[in-house]
Amino acid sequence: MLRREFLAGLGGLLAAPAFGQQGPGFRFTDVTRAAGIDFVHNSGAFGKKYLPETMGSGCAFFDYDGDGWQDILLINSMDWPGHKRRRTPLKLYRNNRNGTFTDVTRAAGLDVEMYGLGVTIGDYDNDGHPDIFVSCLGQSRLFHNTGKGTFVDVTRSSGLWEHEGFSTSAMWFDYDRDGLLDLFVTNYVRWTQEGDIFCSFDGNSKAYCTPEAYRGVTCWLFRNRGDGTFEDVTAKAGVLDTTSKSLGVTLLDFNNDGWPDVFVANDTQPNKLYTNLRNGRFLEQAVRIGLAFSEDGRARAGMGVDAADVDNSGLVSIIVTNFDNEMMGLYRSNRDGQFVDRAPQAGIGQATRHSLGFGCFFFDPDLDGMLDLLIVNGHIDESISRARRNVTHAQPPHLFMNDGKGNFRDVSRLAGESFAAPKVARGAAYGDFDNDGDLDVLITTNNGPAYLYRNDLDNGHRGVRLRLTGTKSNRDAIGAVVKFEASGLAGTRIVKSATGYLSQCELPVTIGLGRRDALQRVTIFWPSGRTEEYKNLKAGGRFVVEEGKGLKPDRA
Amino acid sequence: MTLMPPRTPTLIQLLGLLVTLAAVGSFSVFTLRQVEELRRLGSDIVDRNRRDSLQLIRIQDDVAQLGLALRDMAEGAEPYPMEAYRPQFQRLREDLENALALEARLMPATRTEAQQRLLETVFARFWTVVDELWLLASEGKPEAARALIRTRIEAERATLATLISRLLIQNNEAEAAAVEEIQAIHAKVERNLYYLLAAVLAAILITGSLVIWHDRRMFAQVSHLSEQRKELAGQVIRVQEDLFRTLARELHDEFGQVLTAVGMMLLRVERRLPEGAPGREDLREVREIANQTLDRVRGMSQMLHPPVLDDYGLERSIEWYLGQFEKQTGVKVHYQKSGVAPWIGDAVAIHMYRILQESLNNVVRHAHVTEAWVRVSYAPEKMEMEIEDHGTGLPEKPQESGLGMIGMRERAELLGGRIEFRRRAGGGTVVHVEAPLGVKGGKG
Repeated sequence: MLRREFLAGLGGLLAAPAFGQQGPGFRFTDVTRAAGIDFVHNSGAFGKKYLPETMGSGCAFFDYDGDGWQDILLINSMDWPGHKRRRTPLKLYRNNRNGTFTDVTRAAGLDVEMYGLGVTIGDYDNDGHPDIFVSCLGQSRLFHNTGKGTFVDVTRSSGLWEHEGFSTSAMWFDYDRDGLLDLFVTNYVRWTQEGDIFCSFDGNSKAYCTPEAYRGVTCWLFRNRGDGTFEDVTAKAGVLDTTSKSLGVTLLDFNNDGWPDVFVANDTQPNKLYTNLRNGRFLEQAVRIGLAFSEDGRARAGMGVDAADVDNSGLVSIIVTNFDNEMMGLYRSNRDGQFVDRAPQAGIGQATRHSLGFGCFFFDPDLDGMLDLLIVNGHIDESISRARRNVTHAQPPHLFMNDGKGNFRDVSRLAGESFAAPKVARGAAYGDFDNDGDLDVLITTNNGPAYLYRNDLDNGHRGVRLRLTGTKSNRDAIGAVVKFEASGLAGTRIVKSATGYLSQCELPVTIGLGRRDALQRVTIFWPSGRTEEYKNLKAGGRFVVEEGKGLKPDRA
Repeated sequence: MTLMPPRTPTLIQLLGLLVTLAAVGSFSVFTLRQVEELRRLGSDIVDRNRRDSLQLIRIQDDVAQLGLALRDMAEGAEPYPMEAYRPQFQRLREDLENALALEARLMPATRTEAQQRLLETVFARFWTVVDELWLLASEGKPEAARALIRTRIEAERATLATLISRLLIQNNEAEAAAVEEIQAIHAKVERNLYYLLAAVLAAILITGSLVIWHDRRMFAQVSHLSEQRKELAGQVIRVQEDLFRTLARELHDEFGQVLTAVGMMLLRVERRLPEGAPGREDLREVREIANQTLDRVRGMSQMLHPPVLDDYGLERSIEWYLGQFEKQTGVKVHYQKSGVAPWIGDAVAIHMYRILQESLNNVVRHAHVTEAWVRVSYAPEKMEMEIEDHGTGLPEKPQESGLGMIGMRERAELLGGRIEFRRRAGGGTVVHVEAPLGVKGGKG
């Protein structure tokens, strides 16, 4: 007993400086107000507790005006018909390059109301100007970027018209590698205002339903014809699945064959992994390779999802956020292509048991070269604390730092008071809005404000930022794989559009180098099949790599 | 009380231990058997049943998903051709086959072969009709395909759903039965635990009482023996005293008178002979011898039982004896008396006298001193006597104290008094004796 106490005391003594007191090397400072972000999400809730109200909405970092500074897009929902109180369009904030933003929604022609949920941004016509797809309840919208700081709603002419659903996350990617971005849209359930079902935690007051109450619905895959129109290839590509209740989607190449695969997180239904068969078709294999269920064989409430080379092994890991009373899933592939949920061993399982996670992504906020993990949480119903004492509506986020061996520890409480405060969070995105080389974070909340957190890095780490521009490949280089080597550090990163839940992070790739002076070698595998190699990129540098034309410093 | 040879209690204790061990042993064996049975019920029936039920639920869920997809197809809910549903069906079929294979391995004992065959047959029939559906769909006959869904496929699917529900219910019932059995075992074990406790308690109680009873009997026997021994010692002493008294009287009365007569006759004969006559001197010598013998006989008689004790009581006898003692041994005795002596019965007197005699003899024999102290105090209800010397003291080891001291103790006990042998602080011994002076004056 004495010995154990002694050891425990000793352990505490040793652990204290290592885990307790030492900060993560950076802080997330709340600059929302200072930056001029005054967005407030409107779920339209008026007491009936319609399911879509609690789901939105997303956000994105993207450079809509091509000035090299990340702008912000915040998706909004709206009041229900017959309960109109105010106009709540989505918001586009232009980066003023001085830490502040200007609301340019109206000027950009985006002052449009819709029941928006998710967003994905990609230059589908390869004109050098990123276009916006907003997934909605009802008809989703495609906004074409004119290149003059304005957007035009081209939904009707794009072939995406007459696809009404409960669309959640969406993702631009080039599944057939023809150099044109195609569109994957996830749909949640078959819900209509008239067919709304009464759900309750206490049997009296209505609560938001979990999706068991509604029938599933298929995701959609739209192939880019290259003429500004899209073809619904859901059936042709073998993606049709009417059992799915999908919320999150991410791009990955789990078998490293150079062809983009698709992972879909399903709520109370098995997750789906669509393997690219390289012939325009997909084969769903989630059950076979261990991604469909939890380790005990249950379909969990998959919400957000992200995939990345977390341990710099070249093998992909997948994070899926789930309901409270469920651990998040951290699936890691092994060499024979099977996935195992390592969340409990990796220090994520127990830590996330009581959280209802939505947005999530792997990123490197401390620039140590290892991908860390942000998960933002928030329950679906404010009456939950009445039904379950240890679960709250607003919940703090998880910021898991990666120790480099695939083990994580939550440092959210050390990363800033406002950042760690409980929120009813939904979407989340990262991007370096102040171009200081580290990654800042944007978080949206349901029926509440959005938060912008500036990363104030104080550990002296630096990284290299690469903005990839495709020529033969799609212009956004989505699907490009960046392989890097620095002394004692090697890994892979993939360029992708949608990440986490309803949201999109910036497209430039940030490679943390710690205190290293340079990145020795970078190999880029373009979606076109071209491979390029660059050497000795100085730490702190920002570069533009144009496919086939080489690397040059980023002018911005 | 009869005097039986005391039986050893070990046998009883061993018997009790044996009973306890037997109870614990048999209970352990019983419990182990029950635990084994519980394990069997738990893992073979309940766990297996549950795992089987999980697979059945998975099958049920898949069949329900098939139903939803079929409904979508029949209603034309999605703007996609029927064949687009094929991968979804294929996945569900793979999952179903996987689940069915697992289920067949976990199949509980309650499942009949007929049921299992029926399950397989209905599934086979279902997939055959679904294949027909794909054929119609590929031939571009959506109406016929829809009709097929609404009629045969839905019928087969409903049959499957019912069948699986029935199997699930069967599993639940089997599980409920197993749970009931488990509860019965728990109850049985509990009951037997009480029995064991009762048996062990009874064994302890019986063994304990037997041991206590045995101990009490032993004590009774010991105290009885002690009483007997005391009585015996008293008798021995009484017999001895009687013998001494008789001997003393005989010596005094018979030999004393004979010798006195012999002396008188010798004197008369002597006086008749003329002075200087031959033989007169011899006669005188014989008479001297006779007188000396008479003195010796009288002395012996007095030592055996001083007549002064009978004639003048203890108090005078002590004084007389002390005088005699000083004369015979040359040890100076400091005598101190307090209180007024009441009438003291013969029995008490002789024992007190003998104790004084023995104590002083011990002083002479062992103390090697020239002085002794005797203190006597009288009270109406008791008398106390103390004999003290400043000699070498009592021997260290009590067994060396000899028979004399045992005799003194016996006498004190016969008197109902007590005796104490103390070592004096400055060297020497104190014998302290206390005797009650009741009307009877003790047992003797």
